[in-house]
Amino acid sequence: MLRYTEKIQETAKRLLQEKRVDAFIGYGKGSVPMMNQPLMVSDPDRVDRLYWDNFCGLNLCNYLTKRTDKVGIVANGCNSRNIVTHIIENQIKRDQLYIVGIPCEGMIDHRAVMRAVKQKEILDIQQNGKTFVVKGADFEETFEKEKFLQSNCAVCIHRNPVIYDELLGDLVEEQTGVSPYQDVEKVEAMDPEKKQGFFTRLISRCIRCYACRNACPLCYCPTCFVDESRPQWVGKSSDPTDTLTFHFLRAYHCAGRCTDCGACERVCPMGISMRQFTKKLNKDCQELFSWEAGLTLDQRPPLDVYRPDDYNDFIK
Amino acid sequence: MTERVYTKEEWIRGLEGLREDYTLFVPVKDGDFHAFMPMNGEKVPDFDFQNTRLSPKSVIYPRSERLFEYILGNADPEANILKESSKDFSPRAIVGIRPCDAQAFQIVRRNFDNPEYRDPWWVRHFESTTLVGLGCNEPCSTCFCTAVGGGPFHEDGLDALVFDLGERYLIKGLTDKGEAFLAKMNGGKPADEAVLKAAEDLTASASQKITSSPPTDPLKGKKINDLFNAPFWEEVAFGCLNCGTCTYLCPTCWCFDVQDEVLGKEGDRIRNWDSCMFPLFTLHGSGHNPRDKKVQRVRQRFMHKLKYYVDKYDNGVQCSGCGRCVRYCPVNIDIRDVCERMNNY
Amino acid sequence: MKGLLEHVGVEPGRLHFSWISSAEATKFVDVANTVAKEVKALGPARYFIKKRAEVA
Repeated sequence: MLRYTEKIQETAKRLLQEKRVDAFIGYGKGSVPMMNQPLMVSDPDRVDRLYWDNFCGLNLCNYLTKRTDKVGIVANGCNSRNIVTHIIENQIKRDQLYIVGIPCEGMIDHRAVMRAVKQKEILDIQQNGKTFVVKGADFEETFEKEKFLQSNCAVCIHRNPVIYDELLGDLVEEQTGVSPYQDVEKVEAMDPEKKQGFFTRLISRCIRCYACRNACPLCYCPTCFVDESRPQWVGKSSDPTDTLTFHFLRAYHCAGRCTDCGACERVCPMGISMRQFTKKLNKDCQELFSWEAGLTLDQRPPLDVYRPDDYNDFIK
Repeated sequence: MTERVYTKEEWIRGLEGLREDYTLFVPVKDGDFHAFMPMNGEKVPDFDFQNTRLSPKSVIYPRSERLFEYILGNADPEANILKESSKDFSPRAIVGIRPCDAQAFQIVRRNFDNPEYRDPWWVRHFESTTLVGLGCNEPCSTCFCTAVGGGPFHEDGLDALVFDLGERYLIKGLTDKGEAFLAKMNGGKPADEAVLKAAEDLTASASQKITSSPPTDPLKGKKINDLFNAPFWEEVAFGCLNCGTCTYLCPTCWCFDVQDEVLGKEGDRIRNWDSCMFPLFTLHGSGHNPRDKKVQRVRQRFMHKLKYYVDKYDNGVQCSGCGRCVRYCPVNIDIRDVCERMNNY
Repeated sequence: MKGLLEHVGVEPGRLHFSWISSAEATKFVDVANTVAKEVKALGPARYFIKKRAEVA
């Protein structure tokens, strides 16, 4: 993964020098281990700040919304799918974009790493292909990357970008035989009371900071329903029903649009698995409409269109 | 000043014995991280932690708090009158609070308890709370308490301070509240010279482990307008998601929003934490928003902490150096970096 | 919507969808009766119902 850093810098420099783009959006190396910074460079002499490693889990499409200039952007599988979704939803035009595709082998879950070192402070991480070495004040441990992938990356079947102008490496082999919805099936098998308990516990730590909403490239409404006061759809306190309403409706707004990029979970300061909501919708979209978001520019999403053969068993 | 030594078992037993006198908020392991929770039979304190994910500010200043309640209508003479909600102001103690978080209460106090304004709920909660600190033997690389007037064993703002000496704890009473806490606590024996020396050494070695120290003194001499119009804000703000992680995790962020919730004829007036990162924070009733853009909101957060507060209270910055925002900002906006930029501008 | 609501724990039978034309009076009666019967059988909803805010 690290090998992409130089290539990204070279490409960005070229694009900016040739004035193919006005700005280039990528990641910069963070000031603490396992954290990277979204970065926009418009000066070809400053491209050395661009960086790529196994912790680029934040979705950069957030920074494309309603831009009017020409932008270069790095995109792995899920990011490229969100670019497609952005184009379909008229948030940016295809000809404004120069997409630098990156075949991805998954991002590392920083929480899993913290768990593995028993929450001790990590001072440095060295990433060497299939393994990585974690160093702290009084420990040094080597881990296999494969076992520490973000949970969405572990079941990802679209690692290669689906849309790009240029590719920075050979396409990687897509994973096969993964069962992405095991956790959803487990919940589906519960009776209503158990489900209620599951979701009540799931969100019990939520502090309503809205990091999940704001990290999601799909959430670009000028005014979010939680911020409206006429009518006030949902209360603003830490009341559990209001909090569940927020999570439920946020997820529902992502129906048929979510690419399971995992940005929401990655950014949550409280470690809440809010993908449990969106994954159910993804599963339903897959089963009822054979739909996965962001794979093509040529088809409208299922909630956008009416087809006579749409699933309608629930209408009595 | 009382100085007593406890074995670790004695200490826990001593705390158990105090549960009759205080509601004890202690660090409890809750999944991947620690949180301050009331110590009861089920919640066991775990003092082997760096710091809690959320600061203990919620013990005194809850995320959501009912201030008043009322009923609506015409028939009832009691209707349409705001009545203060009853609250529990019985003694509490936060045991194991880090010195930075205790210092944060002093910073927040300048806002909630000053000659001009006195927030009745914050003040009463604060006054009923005893802060029993636990010094930091191993500060994190993101800690910078020493740069903002604190330190891993800083005593200001604490009522008592505990030193973890391996097998034993040394506890020092620092204020009347702290002495009262110690007087009620069973067990322990007076500290001897050797223990006091060990505590002194620990304090010195811990302070040396602090590696981040963005200077905060130059901020006072800067001109507000220069900093306000500085060109670096666009760059700082680019990645910001405008979520509330920094402000909600911060022990010194105090802003709130008051909401009325009415159900049928009964209503509550609730105060919730708010965040200057949210566009709604400054949205006027007219529809105008003076901080409409992301960059304005990001600038506000840092200018408030590192400049407006400095100028207004002449008592340092509005930051206790706990490093939570540095570690948990999803896009790695680092206050130490911003502080450097402001210093050097 | 129905799928996700039932996934998070709202009992099946509480949420109904139907398409009834203004000319289908008998269908309307039938559906209303079925909905009422099924919801009654489930008893009062306690979950996902906003009551007085649970705050400090």
